[in-house]
Amino acid sequence: MSDSIKKVCVIGAGTMGAGIAAQVANAGVPVLLLDIVPKDGANRNAIAEGAVAKMLKTEPAPFMSKAAAKLVETGNIEDHLGKVAECDWVIEAVIERLDIKQGLYAKLEAVKRDGTAVSSNTSTIPLANLVEGRSDAFKRDFLITHFFNPPRYMRLLEIVTGPETDAGVAAKVEAFADVAMGKTVVKAKDTPGFIANRIGTYWIQLGINAAFEMGLSVELADAIAGKPMGVPKTGIFGLVDLVGIDLMPHLQASLTSTLPQDDPYHAIAIDHPLIGRMIADGYTGRKGKGGFYRLNKEAGRRKEAIDLATGEYRPAIKAAGPRGSAAKGDLKALAESKGDIGAYAWAILGGTLAYAAALVPAAASDVVAVDDAMKLGYNWKAGPFEMIDKLGAKYLADRLEAEGKPVPEMLKIAGTRTFYRVENGKRQFLGLDGEYHDVVRPEGVLRLADVKLASKPLIKNASAALWDVGDGVVCLEFTGKMNALDGEVMKLIVQAIPLVASQYKALVVYNDADAFSAGANLGLALFAINIAAYGEIEKLVAGGQMAYKGLKYAPFPVVGAPAGLAVGGGCEILLHCDAVQAHAELYTGLVECGVGLIPGWGGNGEMLDRARKAKMMPKGPMPPVAKVFETVSTATVSRSAAQAKELLFLRPDDGITMNRDRLLYDAKQKALSMVEGYTPPEAPEFRLPGASGHEALNMAVDGFHKRGMATDYDVVVSNELATVLSGGEADVVDTVTEQELLKLEREAFMRLVHDKRTIARVEHMLETGKPLRN
Amino acid sequence: MQSVVIAGYARSPFHLANKGALARVRPDDLTAQVIRGLIGKTGVNPAEIEDLIVGCAFPEGEQGLNVARLIGLLADLPISVGGMTVNRFCGSSMSGIHYAMGQIAIGAGEVFICAGVESMSRVPMMGFNPMPNPALAQKSAVYMSMGETAENVAAKYQISRADQEALAVESQKRAAAAREAGKFADEIVTIETKGGPVSEDGTIRPETTAETLAGLKPAFDAQGSVTAGTSSPLTDGASAVLVTTEDYARKNNLPILARIKAVSISGCAPETMGLGPILSSQKAMARAGITAADLDVVELNEAFASQALACIKDLGLDSAKTNIDGGAIAIGHPLGATGARIVGKAASLLKREGGKYALASQCIGGGQGIATVLEAVE
Repeated sequence: MSDSIKKVCVIGAGTMGAGIAAQVANAGVPVLLLDIVPKDGANRNAIAEGAVAKMLKTEPAPFMSKAAAKLVETGNIEDHLGKVAECDWVIEAVIERLDIKQGLYAKLEAVKRDGTAVSSNTSTIPLANLVEGRSDAFKRDFLITHFFNPPRYMRLLEIVTGPETDAGVAAKVEAFADVAMGKTVVKAKDTPGFIANRIGTYWIQLGINAAFEMGLSVELADAIAGKPMGVPKTGIFGLVDLVGIDLMPHLQASLTSTLPQDDPYHAIAIDHPLIGRMIADGYTGRKGKGGFYRLNKEAGRRKEAIDLATGEYRPAIKAAGPRGSAAKGDLKALAESKGDIGAYAWAILGGTLAYAAALVPAAASDVVAVDDAMKLGYNWKAGPFEMIDKLGAKYLADRLEAEGKPVPEMLKIAGTRTFYRVENGKRQFLGLDGEYHDVVRPEGVLRLADVKLASKPLIKNASAALWDVGDGVVCLEFTGKMNALDGEVMKLIVQAIPLVASQYKALVVYNDADAFSAGANLGLALFAINIAAYGEIEKLVAGGQMAYKGLKYAPFPVVGAPAGLAVGGGCEILLHCDAVQAHAELYTGLVECGVGLIPGWGGNGEMLDRARKAKMMPKGPMPPVAKVFETVSTATVSRSAAQAKELLFLRPDDGITMNRDRLLYDAKQKALSMVEGYTPPEAPEFRLPGASGHEALNMAVDGFHKRGMATDYDVVVSNELATVLSGGEADVVDTVTEQELLKLEREAFMRLVHDKRTIARVEHMLETGKPLRN
Repeated sequence: MQSVVIAGYARSPFHLANKGALARVRPDDLTAQVIRGLIGKTGVNPAEIEDLIVGCAFPEGEQGLNVARLIGLLADLPISVGGMTVNRFCGSSMSGIHYAMGQIAIGAGEVFICAGVESMSRVPMMGFNPMPNPALAQKSAVYMSMGETAENVAAKYQISRADQEALAVESQKRAAAAREAGKFADEIVTIETKGGPVSEDGTIRPETTAETLAGLKPAFDAQGSVTAGTSSPLTDGASAVLVTTEDYARKNNLPILARIKAVSISGCAPETMGLGPILSSQKAMARAGITAADLDVVELNEAFASQALACIKDLGLDSAKTNIDGGAIAIGHPLGATGARIVGKAASLLKREGGKYALASQCIGGGQGIATVLEAVE
């Protein structure tokens, strides 16, 4: 279906419109970005062009690659609206004014093809109003697609269709948004604020009100309504600082003017004079002079917070937030905490969860839609109904009733039951009919979590597990903290190879976590160093080399399927896979030098091998070596899967999946496609530049050192890396085998392990999470 | 000895490597266009050219495979014209001129095109396969980065950062004024590129002031005084001069710019390679029987402000007569092309400004200097 959208037009080059255009381009689809003609200046496309230029400098980057940026064609709506005829989907992201949107639609109607979808990115205006005065044909092609900011990184897309929207048109847009743009589509009803912002705004307002009423410090409020509730650790005040305090009155005005009079939001939508004053004085949050928090530059960048009672800044305090189970996701314990903590937690949980529960079926057709919206649109760990399950639906209903508050229908339906359950290995949700229904994944979505509910691992140890994901494909899952890699993982790999070889067709290396793998378990390594168990470390290095080469030469295809962070050993395992199917958001690299080490699990040879095969690589022994040296010595990490290809961590024909939920399925398909006639790769042999090349690399590092860009110890670590990459003592006429290169790698790694400065780097990384520049 | 003259000079516009307008132009194509331009403006009969000599500091990749021959074919020179690539790093194309003069002296031809080229965008400094001899690296500073040698010269001659910056500002000012006054028009050949014709230098920064330069970080040594602003930029460019016997030029009505009076080459310590012009210029002037006081025009390549200042001081040069239209800090330094540019420029300045003698000299990585003394032709 997504094939039917070949070109997209985005009208409105503000933050949202431009960001949406960038994500379309990230999908490899050409996009026309139009805005108005500026009042002054000769360049009539200046606004759209300026938006693209700005995005190229924005962090986090809206574009996944420079190539993507080239897919954006800019223009203006006076000269170029006719090009809409070339487009299959037009996304309107102009200012939130009904008259302007309606005027634009009238013009669009004259130029667009029938069947070209038109959608509005409105977050506030009902669909019924938007299409007033349009033809039936236009109404058939019209829907609302509500993206979240920033569009590349926020996975939620709320889609609202009207009674006249053509199902085929909506399906076409939905499929494209899902598969090509990587969004999880939540279908919302045509009600104000749709789902996520309606609940989110209510939640924020409630949190602010309660903190004022109870006289809490903002630090304490955020310590309660942050991590302990499974919402981002910024809490509510920190979040408002981030999105902009000045946005709040706009959201409030829009919702109060559109929500029905009996909506509970009206009762809590109060103005706090302090907030009005802050906005008027330019204290609009992080983008302004400061917000509820600020860094006082006059006081040496001291962190300060505003006192909600006096309106004055004071040094920030470390609030004594929830402790014990109340701090770790036990919502009932949190709500029943003594004093301010319990009172504040209950005020927010009770109010927000009751409000959310009441939105089914008014704003969303089922509980899954509400939960998905909050998880993907506000980065909550659990959605409102999943939170109610933790709290207890009965507990919530009883407490609401005791306080004389209305009990939403969904809570009554649940009674003493939960909203979710697992039955026969299937996750089910509670419907409006009081019955449980299977949570149905879209075609092409496979979650390891679902597999795990329905089956037992083939093998499992403390750090990894092996799952049968069907059709003869086995999934290797890392299970340690941050999916760190250790001897247990290697052991499991060694066990897996004969098992898959004898009973299955292919192996996929995948896990559901946000981070594919943070690399070797440094804590364990440091422990071994501290007790001088160097033999154990060498065994771990050699064992990892053997396990990874085992995967590489196994008699079945191995496909890596990483998402998020995949660094160090987590990158090296991908380098050993026959192919990779990566999520578009892949942050991969060989970062060992940052902790005073070099890649030790075969990463050097694998990188050299692909560098010498890279297109456009100049001939001769040095260019591949120099390229790998540059990437690895600087611990470069890709900012996307597309960039990982440029850095050679991925091969040109490795696949990229835009939608995180589709990654395992796509990887499995890729593995299956390789089964027929599969033969393992042959071991590479290298011609390396030896001492001369080593000298050249050292000279380059020397230059960086003199310029102050490389530290003293960087020079030492780089020298060891250069030793390996240049082939040690090899002469340029020699052939260096893969095994010889592995030996060089092991020896250099062990020399660094013995250096105190490496230990200092590892300790610093474990303590602070940041590299030590010694 | 036969009198040998510079009978024409042309160059491409110079542009910053990697980001400039010539980054996507192959160096062989670039040079071929300059040679066509030189032939067009001098009216020399291509069939009578003996050899095309092309200087290039990193003759590999698109500059490899004896690029001189390839350029000759690209420029549609008659098949009978030879082609030779010369490498003496930055002194490559000046060496080409000296070689032509020698060939003329031994009766091995009358007409030579001496060109130079460097695309620092497309062939990196050090080349694609730098493989220094580790034993020599221990024994000598010959592999030292050019920036470090500039720092060494600054330290040795106690040249302050402010003095270096003053020279850079002056260089930019002169180059900008010369461009403004159209004084480069007679030397620049418009280059056709995929992005359209390019006919002006892209390297000159007229907005440069002492204040803006003072804000830059040291480029080669965190504790040093040399910055990107007081160094010549990485540059793409090509240049060419026509070298003939005086008799031939007169017979064929070629536009004689100057006579080559004397030449020289000399070595110096690699770690202070920027001082190379001192000895080579002294030798060339001695061979010409003149002193610095006799010079009316000097083209001294500004690889770095520090080394240019040191050479000006030791040679006793008159700053007012040195790099009259700006130097390499402003105009750029496409390594292999610089020698032909400064000889051609010195010759044409001698004609434009009047006077009797001109000197063109430059330093060379690895520790050498090269110099050419020119004499006005009545």
